[in-house]
Amino acid sequence: MAFAENHINTDVPEKDVFALHFLQTLSNLSTQNPFSSPDKKSDRVKKIKKAAYVSMARAAGCTDRLWSRALLQRAAKRNNKIVRFPRRRKRVTWLRRRSNRRDPVEEAAAERLRNLVPGGGEMKTSKLMEETAHYIKCLSMQVKVMQCLVDGLSPK
Amino acid sequence: MDNELFMNVSEMTSLSSSSPAMLNWASSMETHPLEQSVITRNVPRDCFFWEKSTEQSVIGSAPTSHVSPPSVSNFSGGGGGAGENHVIRELIGNLGNVGDIHGAPASILGNSSGSRYAAPMMSSSPPLDAFSGDSRFAERAARFSCFNGRGKTNGPVAETASINGELTRVSSTSALKPPTGESSGESSRKRKGKSKENSHSSTVTPSHNLPKEVEEKEDSDSKRSKKSKENGGEDTKSIDPYKDFIHVRARRGQATDSHSLAERVRREKISERMKLLQDLVPGCNKVTGKALMLDEIINYVQSLQRQVEFLSMKLSSVNTRLDFNMDALMSKDIFPSSNNQQVLQLESSSDILLADHHSHTLQLNPNDPSINIMNPMETSESRSFNSQLPTLTHFTDSISQFSTFSEDDLHSIIHMGFAQNHIRELNHVHSTSFQGPSNQVPSHMKAEL
Repeated sequence: MAFAENHINTDVPEKDVFALHFLQTLSNLSTQNPFSSPDKKSDRVKKIKKAAYVSMARAAGCTDRLWSRALLQRAAKRNNKIVRFPRRRKRVTWLRRRSNRRDPVEEAAAERLRNLVPGGGEMKTSKLMEETAHYIKCLSMQVKVMQCLVDGLSPK
Repeated sequence: MDNELFMNVSEMTSLSSSSPAMLNWASSMETHPLEQSVITRNVPRDCFFWEKSTEQSVIGSAPTSHVSPPSVSNFSGGGGGAGENHVIRELIGNLGNVGDIHGAPASILGNSSGSRYAAPMMSSSPPLDAFSGDSRFAERAARFSCFNGRGKTNGPVAETASINGELTRVSSTSALKPPTGESSGESSRKRKGKSKENSHSSTVTPSHNLPKEVEEKEDSDSKRSKKSKENGGEDTKSIDPYKDFIHVRARRGQATDSHSLAERVRREKISERMKLLQDLVPGCNKVTGKALMLDEIINYVQSLQRQVEFLSMKLSSVNTRLDFNMDALMSKDIFPSSNNQQVLQLESSSDILLADHHSHTLQLNPNDPSINIMNPMETSESRSFNSQLPTLTHFTDSISQFSTFSEDDLHSIIHMGFAQNHIRELNHVHSTSFQGPSNQVPSHMKAEL
């Protein structure tokens, strides 16, 4: 199946895009609470973490990937916002769930992976792995950006 | 010549015991001058045409008074369907003979067996091969006559409809070549149960072609249509325009039922993606086997997520008020990459929006005394600042320049740079193709300078 690589596209944008999005989200965060900054550390951490994930999902391409969509929808739900994405041609229906998991050995591992990757509950195993690959790339990029930020901001 | 033919037929009709159908046909034949012109042609074909034309005339004249209850009423309806069948077969046999030799004896009369009249068929000229399929034709003709028998109550219209249906099938099975290949495909599909009789009646045209051709064509059509209906199985792997499925060829020595094939395809897909993941996850080369690999991958994903959390904690501690120091950010070598120029262009283009969004700039952290709130007056300053941005290739090069500007400028730039429109564009069009708006910027900047 030499031609297979052609249709698996796990390209991820450059670091700059991630950086931009992250900074934007962070600045949004700061402008959201102009008068009262939350004092509790855990809240702050959570906010930053959420900002990181959201910006990562945006940078990676909002609607191109299932995990990014699921992430953004999850985040929007918490904000009581309704986020709508244009429906794609192929809908992943729940029927697929039954017919696609037959190997018990990999099933357990696939289950765990599904819990980890956002939006993984409904995917075929092959699709899940594609999403995982892209997710891993984006995560690593985001980690790099954040590392740079922290290094830049930490007092010398 | 015509008369001879008629005489022969009439002789045969008179000879046969009960041949009301033939009487009917003979009478209708006599009443229609059309057939005579047809019959002036080649004799073998005449017979063929004669049949067709009679049918057609029957059909065509159904609304008229020709095929009318009177002609139907001639039909005494004796003997029932079986008898008529025999009669018709005799007639066909006779016709074959007639086509062959004019003066064929009527000895064939008594024989209604298929083989008997098949023999004269074989010896006759090619167009008469039409009759090779006429066992079916005979049935249809029988049915046709049956309709005639029953037609008293139905009326001519119903007859024609049924006759049309019959005739369409007759035309498809007997040696009529349909005008286009499509209609032969249609006919094969029709035989499979779809009923579109009305559409097909237009293809009833007398033409003389080898039935074998049609048969073959129909066979191939049926094969094709069968193939198109089958999934999986042993179809070849190719890009088929009229199929949505990916076809896989069964390998030698492996099961060929569709389930196992689908399983195999799925397994291959999964293994292919596992290879992809193997390249991504460091340290996966030594591990073999799907389960272990998946465990590794899961561990890696978990570690990455933990890293994100840890870094966010660190960030929050560094920047206690979620209000980060832009100056410090810009001055350090934070984002070393070669694509900074485009990033900067993005920022500079966003500044064009800044000029219009004065209200937004005023919302920036009024609590912080260290940050100057940007005035509309200062837009020129920001523009001049931005004019220098495209010239910078790396952030590190611009430390000296940046340090002269207030944090607020940078903050506002970055804040406003991400007006919703921009971000959407960013999402759709990553880095490289954002040349449109940024092209406006140089002109503005040139004006400044």
